[in-house]
Parts: sequence; structure tokens; C-alpha cells
Amino acid sequence: MVGSIFSVLLFPGFLFVSVLALYSEFIDRKIYARLQNRVGPPWFQPLADFIKLLAKEDIVPEEANRNMFNLAPAFALCAAVTAFLYIPLWSFNSLCSFGGDSIVVLYLLTIPTLAFFIGGWYSTSLFARIGTVRSLTQLVAYEVPLFMGILSAALLADSWSLRDIAFFYTQHPLYILLNSIGFVVALISLLGKLEKGPFDIPEAETEVVAGVFTEYSGRNLAFLKLSLNVEMVVGASLLAAVFLPFGLNANPLAGFFFFILKVSAIVAILSLMRTITARLRIDQMIRFCWKYMAPFAILQLVINLILKGVLLR
Amino acid sequence: MSLEEKIKQALVSKFDFLAGRIVISRPRRIFIQVELERLNDVFDYAVKQLVFSHLCTITGLDEGLTFGVVYHIADKNGIVLNLRTAVPKINPVLRTITFYFPGAEIYERELMDLLGVKIDSLPPGLRYPLPDDWPQDEFPLRKGWKPKAENREQKTENREQKT
Amino acid sequence: MREQRKFKIPIGPQHPALKEPESFSVALKGEKILGVDIRLGYNHRGIEKACEERTYVQDVYLIERICGICSHTHSTCFVQAVEEIAQLAVPKRALYIRTLVGELERVHSHYLWLGVAGHEIGFDTLLMYTWRDREAIMDILALLTGNRVNYGINTIGGVRRDIDSAQTKEVLKAVEQLEERTHYYIEIATEDMAISKRLSGVGMLPQEDALRLGAVGPTARGSGVNRDVRRDDPYAAYEELSFDVITDTHCDVYGRTVVRLKELLESFKIIRQVLKNMPQGPIAVKAPRKIPAGEALSRYEAPRGEDVHYVKANGTDKPERVKVRAPTLANVRTVKQMLKDRFLADMPIVIAAIDPCFSCTDRMVEIKNVDSEKEKIISWPELRSLSIEWYKAQGVDFTKLNKKLGNV
Repeated sequence: MVGSIFSVLLFPGFLFVSVLALYSEFIDRKIYARLQNRVGPPWFQPLADFIKLLAKEDIVPEEANRNMFNLAPAFALCAAVTAFLYIPLWSFNSLCSFGGDSIVVLYLLTIPTLAFFIGGWYSTSLFARIGTVRSLTQLVAYEVPLFMGILSAALLADSWSLRDIAFFYTQHPLYILLNSIGFVVALISLLGKLEKGPFDIPEAETEVVAGVFTEYSGRNLAFLKLSLNVEMVVGASLLAAVFLPFGLNANPLAGFFFFILKVSAIVAILSLMRTITARLRIDQMIRFCWKYMAPFAILQLVINLILKGVLLR
Repeated sequence: MSLEEKIKQALVSKFDFLAGRIVISRPRRIFIQVELERLNDVFDYAVKQLVFSHLCTITGLDEGLTFGVVYHIADKNGIVLNLRTAVPKINPVLRTITFYFPGAEIYERELMDLLGVKIDSLPPGLRYPLPDDWPQDEFPLRKGWKPKAENREQKTENREQKT
Repeated sequence: MREQRKFKIPIGPQHPALKEPESFSVALKGEKILGVDIRLGYNHRGIEKACEERTYVQDVYLIERICGICSHTHSTCFVQAVEEIAQLAVPKRALYIRTLVGELERVHSHYLWLGVAGHEIGFDTLLMYTWRDREAIMDILALLTGNRVNYGINTIGGVRRDIDSAQTKEVLKAVEQLEERTHYYIEIATEDMAISKRLSGVGMLPQEDALRLGAVGPTARGSGVNRDVRRDDPYAAYEELSFDVITDTHCDVYGRTVVRLKELLESFKIIRQVLKNMPQGPIAVKAPRKIPAGEALSRYEAPRGEDVHYVKANGTDKPERVKVRAPTLANVRTVKQMLKDRFLADMPIVIAAIDPCFSCTDRMVEIKNVDSEKEKIISWPELRSLSIEWYKAQGVDFTKLNKKLGNV
């Protein structure tokens, strides 16, 4: 009992994932800054920002629905952290695991977006409402390629369980290469999910101020930001577990090192992508997702179906 | 003959009352003094026949008993025609030129706000450049106008009371 | 999932997309813009009135502060009008120096614009790059005039500072470096997929509309209107210089971007010519304190378009009337046209594409030393070395970076 509370709350649960989230925010910001020829923040900046925000006044708009407004950040954070518990990190065994956990993780990852929607909608700010409508519109566009990308990898491994998928690809390392289209599609979809890079449309600063987050301040904002960062870590470790399952059978210390490396690499790729692109418009983003991403995801699916029939008889 | 001279001749032959009222102050600058009654004819002719197709701006002046209004219009050769007229202060009404230049709206609103010239048949719109709560009968560009000290104090007081 | 109800959102007076207070009230249906109401005047400071209560010399400096970016524009335009009334024969060398500063100002303004445009379409990398490169031109301006903005180089009858051969060399060096960068930005702007997606077809202003609404500067030239005061109504030294007026027929934000970028290359051309052909001689004539009665209209091609000043003198040392028409005022009406039936997401870049003016900060800081209660004024190089030292203490060293960029 005490052991599982320890795992859920401290390691590798809530506290660990929060630290990791701050770390990946630092990686993201530093790389973003260096690529833009800026100095970038010192390593403790994300933590300092978090602490500072906690100390700030928490303002709830008069018109807003108080409960919904205050609950949304908690929802988002809890869902993201819960998803983390199902992902194999540095060994095949994740904290919780069952036959269909890949589906559960994907759905848990959707909840933060919905929580942002609820928070933004009930804050009644016009900018936040436009932001929420945008983030839901965007959800419809990136969710399908992301699911298909990950599920086609699962298809080849013949299991819905992340643990079995990772195990399968460790047994057959070359098969990882077969999923490369799916990996790219999932990576780009992840940008949409994290509202980053060319897909930061819901919080486009020059259009809708901060979108969903416009009315948030203080503690609530701190947790919203943290949950976004946790989402980034969860997304990165999910992709790492499915598409790059190296080092899972090594000894725990090397595995841990590999895990951090993989997450950092994925975060670095995400920040590279957001450095080199301009923000798309919502209609362009949706067209892009359905015109290019979804067909490529389907292609991957078809390839894997055929391969499964031919290779794994 | 230079282009400026040609324009001068064309204007004089069309409107004989303009003889002696056209000054070419330097190359590419023509100043014309026109009576308010004949302004529209001259303006129409300059814009439509002489193709002065670009409105630089409209200047309003306080000249004591009258308001001076100068229309600066330019053609593609860089010649600027400065059509200057006087509007009596008692009933300062000008016809809008937004039919010719839709962009003139903002310059005309400026005349309305800063000098108190009334513009006839100007479509309704937001005022420019003074704030919405500016008193109706105060026109800062008139010569006698001084910012009222007590007004300002009262305003800050009001603001303090509100907060 | 889009909300189909109509609603109005306020963009401004305070909004991240605007660098200056203006208010755009946007009626939206979903993401579509139905109509825009523009309310200006938040920045009205009564400068025209204030000019009537000050002497001509004071006005030069007051007028220079109308805008932080095109300060040289306004002061040149004003002194030109006054010189015309007073019939002063301004020395050639002064006109060349004015042209030089004017073109350097255009370069820094267009660079600034490119960065802002990048920011408005969510491409901050472009902002960081262009503004970094813009520093070179700011340094040159500081070298020539003593200031990064509000140069104070104009005076009635000429200019206040001469330029020597060492400065000429520095300018040429910077121009060469910037020209290379400009080619790079032209490549980016014309070839990058995401950028062209966001710029092409956005903010359409057909040529006839540009003419009808009286658009000026790059806004008009991006719609194929061949209009440039520098060529049509030459002032300063432009009559003796050869350059092309850049136009583009795309009629959208992309066209305006291309015009501005190619204008940069023209500016470099002009700067080189000015430095090569700069005549020797005095840099100013003495101006009378009292300007004889008269009136003059002066036009100037600011980075944003045609700037118009009308000055009426009454024989005293103070003007009777000074009228200023900044280019943005002529262009702002086109925004309404450009935004019709567009998306909300296009709004920031469409507004930015007319390049509305905004102010810059000053570079002098006063430092209060707590111990001695003494105020100390730090010069720019000192301030810079202080900041470099500070970063060094934080473990960040710029020397390598500087070497790489070639601006040691």
C-alpha cells in the first residue's frame, strides 16, 4: 500500500513526472532560444516561473463559472499524470498495465484538451472562447492521424498493450524501421496536441491573446502550464515506448539514462519544428492534417496489415 | 512650356475668375485661392480632367474670421495642387469630397474635431482623433483655445472618485 | 464545432498584436470577419497645436518625436518646408547626408517590419534573426548621428553633423553585411512554404482599390501602383541618384513583403551612391530666427509611404500652422477593405502589413547609485560592455558568437 502510494505520488509518479516536465520545458525553451540566436533561460527558470506563479494572486473572472474554472487545471494535470503511469519507461513493466492500455493512454491524453476547453469556455472571455473552439476544431484534425500512427505499430506487434508492443519491437529491432512513417505522423500530430509550433493556433498570441489561458492567473495558470508540460513528457515517452523501445531490457540505470535521452531527443525535435515554421491558420491546419497526415497514417496502416500477413505468418 | 504652366493655362481657360490667383511657388507646387462657391467646380475639374488622382491631405487653418481649408491633391508627375478656400466661421460648412476620394473621410473628421468645420453629407462614423467624451463645443486647433486647467483637474478628480 | 453566432471582439486599444494603441472592433462569425470598426486617436498628443507655441528650431525636435521609427522622416519633411518658405539654399553635402540617414532609416524600418511580420504570423525565429541583424544598422546610425533613434541630425538650413571617411568605411561594411542577409531573407520569404501560405492571397488590395483609397508607400506599390515620392517629387539628393521603384502585382501581403525586401536592396544601392558622390563643402547655412510669411507643402517618402507636412509662416519665430499627415493615416482605411471576409488569424498580419508606426525606446539610462545618491549617465558602448560582463558572470560568453557573425 505504502509502496504504491510512493510510486504514484513520488517516483515514478506525480513528483517525478513534474520534475521531468520542468526539465523538458527547459530543454524546449533553451533549444528554441539557441536556434533563434538567443541566450535562453538558465536551467532553473521553469521551476522559478512555477513557484512565482504559485505566489501570484489567483483571479477568477466575475462572469466565470467558479467551480469549472478552478477545476479545469486539476483535471488536466491529473489526466496527464495518470496517462504517464501506464507507459513503460525504462523497463517493460510500467506502474499499471493491462491488455488495452495503449487505448487508455491515448484517451487520457485527450482529457487535458477537453479540460482546457471547459476552463476556457467557462471563463466567458471572448478570446478564451475563440481559443477553445479552435482547440476542439484542431483536436478533430490531429487526433485521427495520431491514433492511427500508434495503432498501426500496435497492429504489427499484435497487441494493444504498450508493454507487449515494446517487448515485441525489442525482440525484432529491425521492424522499428517499418514504422517510420507512423512515427513522423505521430510526431507531427503531437505538435498539434501540445499546441506548439505551427499548430499553436488555439493560443496564437497575436490573434486571441492567450486563447484558453487568457483569463487564468496565479496558481491555476501554473498548473495549466505544468499540465501542458506533463502532456509533452507523456507524449514524448509514449512515442519513445512505441517507436523507439531501445534500452528497455538493459539494467535499470542505463535504461533510465536511455529514457531521459529519448524524451530529450523527442522534445528537441518538437522545438526544432516550432523554430522553423510559421503558425498556420486553422483552416490550413485542418486541410494539412486530412490531406497529408491522415493518408500517410492510412498508408502505414495498410503497410503494416500487409506485412503482418506476409512476415509474421 | 512646363507642365505646371500647362495646368495653370488649362485652369485659367476653363475658369476665367482664377486668372491671377494661381501661384506656382516652385516646380511641382501650385497654389490656388478659390471662392467657396466655386470650389466644387474647380475641384471636380482638377480631379476628373487634370487627373489629380491622389489626395495628399486636407489642412485646416484658423484665419481669424474664416477657416482656411487647403486641399492638397497630387498627380502622377509629382505636381501638387494646393486648392485653398475660406469658410466663414459663423456657419462653417463644407461639402465632403469622399465621392472622389473615399480616403478623405479621416481628414474630414479631423477638420470636424479639431476646428469645428461641419462637413456636409459625410456618412456617420467614429470620430477622430479626439476621445469620445471630449466636449462638443471645444476645438483645440482654433487660435484662442487653451486647455482649461480646471477642466483637467476636475477630470482627474472624477477618475479618482471612480476608482 | 465552430460557433456560428455573431460576436464582436475588441482588438485593442491594448492587444498583443498591436504595438501601439489603436482599436479594431471586429465582428466575427466563427473565424470569419464580417466587418471591422477602426477607432484611432489614442496617440493624439496635440503636437500640431504644440508646434504653434514653439519656435521653429524647437519644432524640429518636437516633430522628430512624432514617431520613433521614422523620426528623420518627419524632421526632414518639416525642415524642407521651412527652408522653402525662408528660401534657404541648403548645401549639397547636407542634402546628401540627409539622404544617407533617410535611407539608413528605411533599412532599419524595413528590417523591423520584417521581424514584426514574422511575429504576427507566429514565426518568432524570423523576428529574432532580423532584429539581431538590424542592430548593425542601429549601430551605424548611432555612429553617424549619436543616437539610435531620434537622430537630431537635421536643423533648419542643413545638418548638424558631418561624416568622415572612417565613418564612411563603417557604413559600407555594415551595408555589405546587411545586403548579404537581405538576400537570405528574400530567399526565406519567397521560398518557405509556411510563410507563403500565410502571406499569399491574404489582405487583397486590388490596384484600383489602392488608388481609390489613396494608399501610399509599400502598401500601394505592393498592389502595382507605381508611386514613389523620391522619384515623382524628388527632394534632398534623390534627383541625382539612380534607383528603381519596386512594385509588385500580387496585391496581397506577400506582394508588400516582396516590395519591402527589394526596396532594401535599392536602399543599399542608394547608400553606396551617396557615399561615393558625396560633395565637399559646408553642411549648413545659417537660418534666420524669424521666418518670413509664406506657406509650403513638403513631401517625403517615409519607409511606410508618403509623409506630408504643410507649414504656414506668419513672419514671426513661431509657425502659424503645422500640419502633419503621417503615411499610416493614408493607409489605415485600406485595412477595412483588406479584412473583409478574411479569417481572424489573418488580422494581425494584415494590420502589420501596412506597417503602422510605433515608438522605440531611448537608449540612455540613468543609474542611481544607492550609496552615493549620485546619478550617472552611461553611454551606449559602456552599457553594452556592462551587459556583456553581466552575461559573462552568468556563464554566457558572446565572444565566440560575435566572431561567427563577423561583427567583432
